[in-house]
This record gives sequence, structure tokens and C-alpha cells, in this order.
Amino acid sequence: MDEVLVIEQVRKRYGKPPRGVLANDGVDLRIEAGQVVGLLGHNGAGKTTLVNQVVGLALPDEGRITLAGIDAIARPDEARRLASVQAQANVPITGLTPRRAIDLVGRLRGGSRADVRRRTDHLLEALDLGPWADVTAQKVSGGVARLAAFAMAAVAPGALVVLDEPTNDVDPVRRRLLWAEIRRIADEGAAVLLVTHNVREAETVVDRVTILDHGRVLADETPQDLVAGHGAEGAEGLEDVYIEMVGSAEHAGSTTEEDVA
Amino acid sequence: MSTLAIHPAPTARQLGLLLQWQFRRMSQFLPLLVVVQILLAVTTVLGYGLLVGTPPPEQALYLATGASTVTLVMVGLVMTPQMVAQARTEGSLDWMRTLPVPRPVFLGADLALWTLIALPGMVLGVVAGAAKFHVHLALSPWLPLAAIVVSLTAACVGYAIACLLPPQVAQLVSQVLVFVVLLFSPVSFPASRLPGWLEHVHQWLPVQPMADAMRATLVSDRFTMPLRSTLMLAAWCAASLVVATWSLRKRA
Repeated sequence: MDEVLVIEQVRKRYGKPPRGVLANDGVDLRIEAGQVVGLLGHNGAGKTTLVNQVVGLALPDEGRITLAGIDAIARPDEARRLASVQAQANVPITGLTPRRAIDLVGRLRGGSRADVRRRTDHLLEALDLGPWADVTAQKVSGGVARLAAFAMAAVAPGALVVLDEPTNDVDPVRRRLLWAEIRRIADEGAAVLLVTHNVREAETVVDRVTILDHGRVLADETPQDLVAGHGAEGAEGLEDVYIEMVGSAEHAGSTTEEDVA
Repeated sequence: MSTLAIHPAPTARQLGLLLQWQFRRMSQFLPLLVVVQILLAVTTVLGYGLLVGTPPPEQALYLATGASTVTLVMVGLVMTPQMVAQARTEGSLDWMRTLPVPRPVFLGADLALWTLIALPGMVLGVVAGAAKFHVHLALSPWLPLAAIVVSLTAACVGYAIACLLPPQVAQLVSQVLVFVVLLFSPVSFPASRLPGWLEHVHQWLPVQPMADAMRATLVSDRFTMPLRSTLMLAAWCAASLVVATWSLRKRA
């Protein structure tokens, strides 16, 4: 398969030593077309910093990032044409309806009016957003707004889709629909980088898991290999192994706190 | 649609779509913003009247044209940083920056929006000023260009302030600028009335050339645009565009 995203030895520090934060410390990561890679790690592990460097919001101190053959550090404008992003923070779409917001982003990303409309309709239906599709955003719940933000990234996805905590605030029924849609994006050919604390549910859709711990890659394997290789007795799945690996159940619990940078 | 093909829309279409996005996002508050700008311009004129009573003709010209300049400058230097700082705080600016949209297009959409918000206040400020101080206007064909350049420059400086300073500091700076522009800038009075050192400082700042440009195009039979002001305004406009674009490109 084609490698879409190649991150090699990326280092990023905010502030100067000794007071600054080393957010990424020699991170390597590869995602092929059609793969969903889960990026896990405690709050402050450097996940959001890493994705910000892929789309040109942050500049690595060292290392290389290649996106579909393009040097994403030297040519961030071109990298942005190849990647779509669902940000960690909810993007306010006050004044817009979910349908209008998804449609406008799809067309901004270059989709034709007809294609974007068709894809918007599909996403609204697949995520069961029909009842809220034409309701102004100030009247919809946080979960619906979060799903709309996902759809804004998925409407014209490009080679790489970066999803930063897509399940936050989303109800359990729609979370299942969301996971299926994430899987579908990859099955249609895109690479998906999924930042999440929702380890238990992510296990069902990811092809590989990369665990960051204080800016370093602690593990980069398939969920099955990770569980088989690192699971202690009694470990039932990826979440148990993950908690074991990062060493603290406290780290794994939060789904809402913001990461460093 | 192929999932892998992203060929961003042509620039003009992106500009139109971004404007639509921004307008709809602000649709709730847009009428209020415009009304506030109109009130600001008209009440500035009325306030000047209370302060000075019946001014001599020369002073009346400054007062009548000053309110419109103040409106344009305020929207750019004060409202733009406040809105951009808010977008930064809530994270929406960073997300917008992940879209495959050239930075000048972002800037263009925002500047067009701010100019359109300021325009009704500017026009009504001029009308109110002319009526209040019995001033005869002589509009120059250069007026639209002057208004756009003034608005553009002010908004670019505001944009750069908001992008380069921490959001809370940017909001504070914008508050201070209200005070400086209203009371200590040669907009509604001649520069010669300022203390020497401040008059000298204003020769290098953008507000005086902005006021010169508005006066010279609103009352073109009484004022001319000094060459120095033209050059200063052009330099500030170009520099502020470069800095605002750079600040949008800047990576953490």
C-alpha cells in the first residue's frame, strides 16, 4: 500500500530549556492509504502538537514530515490541500446550520456543488443528523456540533484525515455510526490519523496504534500484537494494555482535558 | 467524489465562500454591529458639538470629517483585534488555518467584512457632521479608494496586533487605542495643536495620513493630500498587509 503520511524523528519544544516543554521527542509515525492509525497518549503527551505540525500550524525543531510525497514542513500550503482536519476544540458554527457548514467547507475544499451536496446528504444520514441538519447551530447540542465538525472534515477528505477527539460529547448510539463512518473513509482510500482517549471503542476500527508518552513513541503496533505482546494476566483488551503501559489509570481517564499546545 | 482529490476552489470562489461563511457566522450580531458603528459615528459628531459649541469654519471642517475617519479606524484597530482574539481563544482561527485557503484570501474576506461593517457608519457620520457643523462637502472621485485604503490599513494593523500578541493583551491594546485615536490623534483637529513631541510621533504613525486622506477626499476644495501623507499611508498599507499575512502564516 502507499504510504500517505511519514513522520520521521520529529522533535518539537515549546519554550527554552530548562523551563520549556519537550512536546515531541523523536517521534516516528507512518500511515498507509486505507489505514486508520490511533494516536493514544495521556494529556500533554504531544498528540495535538504532532498533528499541528502535519498541517502547518506548528513548526518542528527537527525531523521530517512527508505527506503524499510532499515535504509538509517546507510546503505547508500543499500539505493543507492533502489533509482535512477535525480540530480538538469545537469550531463554533453559530449562525450556520450543520448542513450549510458542511456544504460550505466541502466547496471551499474544491468539491463541486453537486458532489458536495451528495456527500453532505450521505454524512447527515449516516450520522443520523437528519433532525438537526437544518437547525441553526446555537440550538443544537454539543454532540451534534461535534458530529457536524467531523462531517466538515469528511465531506472532501483528501489523502489524510486528521480527527482529534471526534467522539467527545457524542452519544453512544451515534458514536457507533461515527466509528463506522471513520472506517469507511479509510476503506475508500484515505489515511486516517485518529487522536483519541476513547481507547475501548477505537480498538474496533484502528489498524494500528501509536502510543505517545511524554513526547516519545512508547508503542507502534496492531492492537492485536499490542495486547498479545504487552498484556499482563487479566488484561482484556487494548485499554487495559494501554493503561498498563502508560503506567497510570489517571492518565487514561479523561476525555475532555486539553493537551499541551 | 474521489476521496483523495482535493483541488481547492479558485481564489475568487474561495473568497466568496469564505465571505458567506463569515457573514452567516455573524448574522445574529451583524445588524447590531452596524447600528453600533452608526451610533458611534453620529454620537461622536454630536459629542464634538457639545464640547466645542459653534466652531469656526476651519475647525468645523475637521470635526465634520473626523467622525467618519474615527469610525473606519475604530473598526479596524479595535473591533478586528477583538474578534480575531476571540477566534484565537476559542480555537476556530487555528481550524480555519487548516483549510486549503491561501492566507491572503483569508485576509481579503475578513477585510471586506470589516469594511462593509464600517461603511454605513462612515457615510452617516459624514452626513451628520456636515449637517451639524453646516459644512459644504466636495466629494472627490478618490473617496472610495481612500475609504478602502484607510479601512484596509487599519484592519491589517488590527489583525497583526491580534495574531502577534496574546489574546488578552491584544484586547487591552485595542482598548487603549480607542483612547489614543479619539483624543490624541490629529483626526478631528489639526496636528499643530498637539505637543511638539506627539506631533512628531504622529508623522510616523498611520492615523494622521488616514485622516488627511479622508479630509482631502470629503472636502476636496479645501484640503489636499500631502505627498508625505500619501507615501506614509501607502507604506503603512503595504507593511500592514505583509505583517498580517505573515502573522497568519506563522507557525507555533
